[in-house]
Amino acid sequence: MGSSGASGDLSGEMEVDAFRRLFPLRFYERHLLESVRPDARPLGRARDTTVALGAVATADGSAMAKIGCTTMLAAIKLEVMTPPLDSSDEGSVAIDFHMPPICSPIVRPGRPAEVAPVVSKQLSDAIISSGMINLKELSLVSGKAAWMAYLDIYCLDADGALFDAALLAAVAAFSHLQIPAVTVNDDGRVVIMSGENEEGKLLKDPVNKEKRKLTLTCIPFSLTCILHKNYILADPTAEEESVMETPVTVVLDSSSRLVSLYKPGGPVLAYMSAVQDCVALTRQRVKELQKILSDAISDMEVD
Amino acid sequence: MEFVSPEGLRLDGRRPMEMRQIRAEIGVVAKADGSASFEMGNTKVIAAVYGPREVPNRSQQISDQALVRCEYSMANFSTGDRMRKPKGDRRSMEISLVIRQTMEACILTHLMPRSQIDIFVQVLQADGGTRSACINAATLALADAGIPMCDLITSCSAGYLNSTPLLDLNYVEDSAGGPDVTVGILSKSDKVTLLQMDSKLPMDIFENVMQLAIEGCKAVANYIREILLENTKQLEYRRGT
Repeated sequence: MGSSGASGDLSGEMEVDAFRRLFPLRFYERHLLESVRPDARPLGRARDTTVALGAVATADGSAMAKIGCTTMLAAIKLEVMTPPLDSSDEGSVAIDFHMPPICSPIVRPGRPAEVAPVVSKQLSDAIISSGMINLKELSLVSGKAAWMAYLDIYCLDADGALFDAALLAAVAAFSHLQIPAVTVNDDGRVVIMSGENEEGKLLKDPVNKEKRKLTLTCIPFSLTCILHKNYILADPTAEEESVMETPVTVVLDSSSRLVSLYKPGGPVLAYMSAVQDCVALTRQRVKELQKILSDAISDMEVD
Repeated sequence: MEFVSPEGLRLDGRRPMEMRQIRAEIGVVAKADGSASFEMGNTKVIAAVYGPREVPNRSQQISDQALVRCEYSMANFSTGDRMRKPKGDRRSMEISLVIRQTMEACILTHLMPRSQIDIFVQVLQADGGTRSACINAATLALADAGIPMCDLITSCSAGYLNSTPLLDLNYVEDSAGGPDVTVGILSKSDKVTLLQMDSKLPMDIFENVMQLAIEGCKAVANYIREILLENTKQLEYRRGT
């Protein structure tokens, strides 16, 4: 190992991996000078993204989204509930984000990840405020019965950009969701209609005749960027997030309107121009994500 | 209710001595030291192994061997009705303990003193036999992590319904109220490390059912060996040797 000289460029004297562990910031800055990142991506490019619908057979709607190594599994289960008085013709959505210990070495059974409830709240806010779901579509019998959609998102591998992957998985799961056909039986209880007609039980018309999907408008997509000095890195990995600590998350909807902007502190104080650059990068990313999602949906329909 | 039809077919069309389709994959969690996913029919689980690593709580470390910890949790959507409390309930704690003690039997813990090996298992879809699928996935994950083991542990369940021993019960057959025997064996040395049974069964029939489960374990062990061999070939190929 070389001696640690004051202004020493030690990279010539020790292995790359050791340098990466010991001096992570300098390792990254050497790469940023060439406008590239250690995994050979240019600064503004996101990692390879894939979406697969219907990953969980037992759920009413599900999807798995992968951005690079970050993997999220989202599943929606519908249950019937009585709607509250002030929104008697609307259903409800409950969103929960979990980081089980398999996903990352920093999560341990007694010590849940700090970031899990933060992402959970961000997701809830983004999905509900974007107006993607029309809650009236989740109503069954006004005032008496409505659907409660429980969306559970599990992180199976945490490698940075958790919010982006989770939002993509959530949106894909809602695109895949099929509301089952139900009818109200004699006791006033809602039962799921099976294929065969049972005589004498269908006193009223079925509430939904057949399985239907939700109409989604203004679908939100997001991109997380990291600011470091005057560089903007799109879609950081977990290593980049831990070294350079200023994330900015921008959520735009499909018509490029701003749904949410999130910059939780961090050492870099950004000028408006930096924020606008982030929004521009997000706009490009939204187009990519829209294409990926629509390809996944049409693949499902072909089956 | 009839679980075995007069022609000898079960509810899902299998024969009594037939296992469900098994599928395994190694290295599914990039951040883990070792990971694997294991599917037995519709039961899908992911196991991730982190270790050997430092014990966070110094007072818990053992000076001459490694500490093995295990946590079993089920996803909210894994069962038919959404689960309210996926971990920390009694069943999950019991299964965590069972998996830990089963795996401890084969890990050579004395080679890694003062360290900790964490085995985390997450059930994504539950259709009976989750305990067995978790043990099989944990074995693969430990092998992927390069943790020294004396043998491969595999597990399978068997039951007895309509006077027929049945191999690899699914959820419907399991909840029928008949006996359910889960066996875990060390595949090469043919020793039993896990044996659990509930409900009542006469002794002679029990021996048949247990033997059937052991056959199932051996079949899983052969499959796991193939997967590990294939994985090693891939690693060799990537290394360019």
